Amino acid sequence: MLLPVLLRRKVSSFVNRLHALRGWELAKTLMFLAVGLGMLAILYFSFLRLLYYLDGVQLIGPMLSWKLTSMVLLITFSMVIVSSIIISMTTLYYSFDLKFLFSCPLDHRTLFMDKALETVFYSSWTLFLAIVPYILALMQVKQLSPAFFVSYCLLMVPFVLVAGSFGVIFSMLVMYWFPSSRTRDLTWLLGSLSVSLVYVAFRFSKPEQLLRPDSLEVVAQYIQYLQSPTAEYLPSWWVTKAMMAYGAERWPQFFLYGGALAAGAAVLYSFMYFVSGRVYAQGFSGAQSSPKFKGLPRLLWEQRLVRAGWRWRGALTVYWKDRLMFARDARYWSQVILIGALIMVYLFSIRQLPLDTPDMKSMVSFLNIGVAGFVMAAIGLRFTFPSISLEGNCYWLARSAPVTVAQFMREKLLFTLPPSMLIGVVLVLASNHLLQADAFIAWLSLFTILVSSVVITVMGVGLGALFPDFRVENIHQIESSYGGFIYMACAMGYLALAMGFEAWPVQMHFAERFGRADPWDWRGIAFSAAGFSVVTAAALYLPWKLGRAKLESHEI
Amino acid sequence: MIEIENLTKTFGAFKAVDGLSLKVPPGEIYGFLGPNGAGKTTTVKILSGIMRPAGGRVLVDGIDMSVDPLSAKRRLAYIPDEPFVYPKLTGRELLRFIGDLYSVPVDEQEREIPKLLEMFDLSEAGGELLESYSHGMKQKLLIASVLLRKPKVVLFDEPTVGLDPRSIRRFRELLLDIARSGACVFMCTHILEMAEKLCGRVGIIYKGRLIAEGTVSELRRMSGSSADRTLEDIFLSLTEG
Repeated sequence: MLLPVLLRRKVSSFVNRLHALRGWELAKTLMFLAVGLGMLAILYFSFLRLLYYLDGVQLIGPMLSWKLTSMVLLITFSMVIVSSIIISMTTLYYSFDLKFLFSCPLDHRTLFMDKALETVFYSSWTLFLAIVPYILALMQVKQLSPAFFVSYCLLMVPFVLVAGSFGVIFSMLVMYWFPSSRTRDLTWLLGSLSVSLVYVAFRFSKPEQLLRPDSLEVVAQYIQYLQSPTAEYLPSWWVTKAMMAYGAERWPQFFLYGGALAAGAAVLYSFMYFVSGRVYAQGFSGAQSSPKFKGLPRLLWEQRLVRAGWRWRGALTVYWKDRLMFARDARYWSQVILIGALIMVYLFSIRQLPLDTPDMKSMVSFLNIGVAGFVMAAIGLRFTFPSISLEGNCYWLARSAPVTVAQFMREKLLFTLPPSMLIGVVLVLASNHLLQADAFIAWLSLFTILVSSVVITVMGVGLGALFPDFRVENIHQIESSYGGFIYMACAMGYLALAMGFEAWPVQMHFAERFGRADPWDWRGIAFSAAGFSVVTAAALYLPWKLGRAKLESHEI
Repeated sequence: MIEIENLTKTFGAFKAVDGLSLKVPPGEIYGFLGPNGAGKTTTVKILSGIMRPAGGRVLVDGIDMSVDPLSAKRRLAYIPDEPFVYPKLTGRELLRFIGDLYSVPVDEQEREIPKLLEMFDLSEAGGELLESYSHGMKQKLLIASVLLRKPKVVLFDEPTVGLDPRSIRRFRELLLDIARSGACVFMCTHILEMAEKLCGRVGIIYKGRLIAEGTVSELRRMSGSSADRTLEDIFLSLTEG
């Protein structure tokens, strides 16, 4: 069996990557690690507080915390399934090393199992890490020994194996029946759509009310709900039951549920091993074929502009290329679906805010600029910041063509600014309408979001040029890079400073609303305007200038 | 024409190109040979403007690449060894894209692109996404784009990798046509037989330095080889000694 040989190459790659970390790369990695650990620590203390509160509720406290645990595990289980469906399409059929591996004297089953395990790992490790703080907090609240955590980790192995296998089996069968790259695109779309629907449905169900016993009319009904299993036939419930059994030292029950998990995983992987020998190679072969596609024989509107003597020929050319590629790439559509869901949940949450007075509503409208700016920056991290790096291997075409780096960057700005601005304006106008903000705040927020959308997009292109990586295979690698981190930090820093300068006039406005005589200090307003202008000018100029210089000297 | 004067390129302590100087006049096909890692691709990348030299200068049709890169790039066409192209564009759209970048008038594109696709047996595939093209088809498409641009200098880095025998023959004819039209062709290749037959002069680079240059018969004399020795023999004797 050659599976250990295949797995060893991954371990060797990882170890080599660690050994290669030196100097600045090592510093960056350690910094990222520190930030990650800091976030996990914040999560831990938040969960600890929540679980202490729940556990302390009279009579039903212990039930509440276990109920929450079963829900957390159920969500994790569903997320691993969806992730594995999306990831398996790439790992099983479009990995860069597959053609080489298929040409090797390897049994297709062995190759499939290698790729299946890779899929399970990539679709579960972040989710596994994200709930570690929850489990540690649960261990603390229930006063259990560290062995509880070890047993949890052991239970998670078959748990993620089972969850991931559903995605892998789904992809294997779908690609066998409908072998085409279009199947992959459709699967990605359906995956994003289901994640978005689950996210929107979860938020619209107002989950905060589930944690309030007074929201249900009959206490007995509530207790019955807490005692009922959460999807009892799914492994998430088996893990919960095993953990509950561990907490109560009921060992036969612990081993029963743990054993059921392990047996379930063994059965699923035996099935996969058997079936993959018959269908994997055929699916792989079919996946390499692209559907017939007829391009656009007519002239594009950008070309008509060029023919009419329009200036900016270079930028318009790269623009139409980006427009066509965006429209044809399913990876972008799935991102757009997720953004749509994010905006819906955002506006729903604004509507649900328990605000009673008009003053409070206007104040929140002002603070909402920062939140809307954050949403814009997060979207910029997915679209604007990676736009230069996503040229990838094809960047040589633009670099060797008679197009300047500045023209190239201007085109990226031209492509990403209008949607970014539109999203910002929609968020602010809709929020202001829902919050019934007064005219001053409404105009101020509209002005700020317009300026911020320009700054955040310019910053995205500029910093994208400052940290280019043309070797990446997908957007996620760029988002989670050091440059992506710097971009988010700079965007949030700008928003904080801009709103800080605006806070003074806003304070004067509220003083006027509260009836203070002569609240407007024009020197203060001038200072705020000057500060805002300087910060905005710097945020526009510096990233662009630095990015342009870096990209001009970048060699491929 | 191409003029390279005392060109140097370093990567850390490693000298990839070391004091290279050469000239290629209009209408000549110049073969640039050398073993792997000798500095051929680095030289071509500097010539194309996608890499900057550490020292020396490059003139394309009399224009200094470091002084006026846009004008220099307008006059040249570069085809790399790996034909990376945008996977979500069709073959026809890629030609349009390149035509637009190089300011080829839109009317001329509309007239020429169907002819070029026909010439390279890509008429049927012209409307399909490039992600479905084979390596050779992409290479042919990029070679077709050279004709659309009508450059004064053409840079090829291993141009025949992935081409079928018929396309290689057509490519040879094309090179001769380009040279006859007055453009100069600078070609890196490992196919010594092709260089011997097509190139007016050949330069051999070894460890970043130009160790020999001239016609095949001049190189033969230089290496002390007899008249029946091929370019391959001369190349091996020069780079192994």
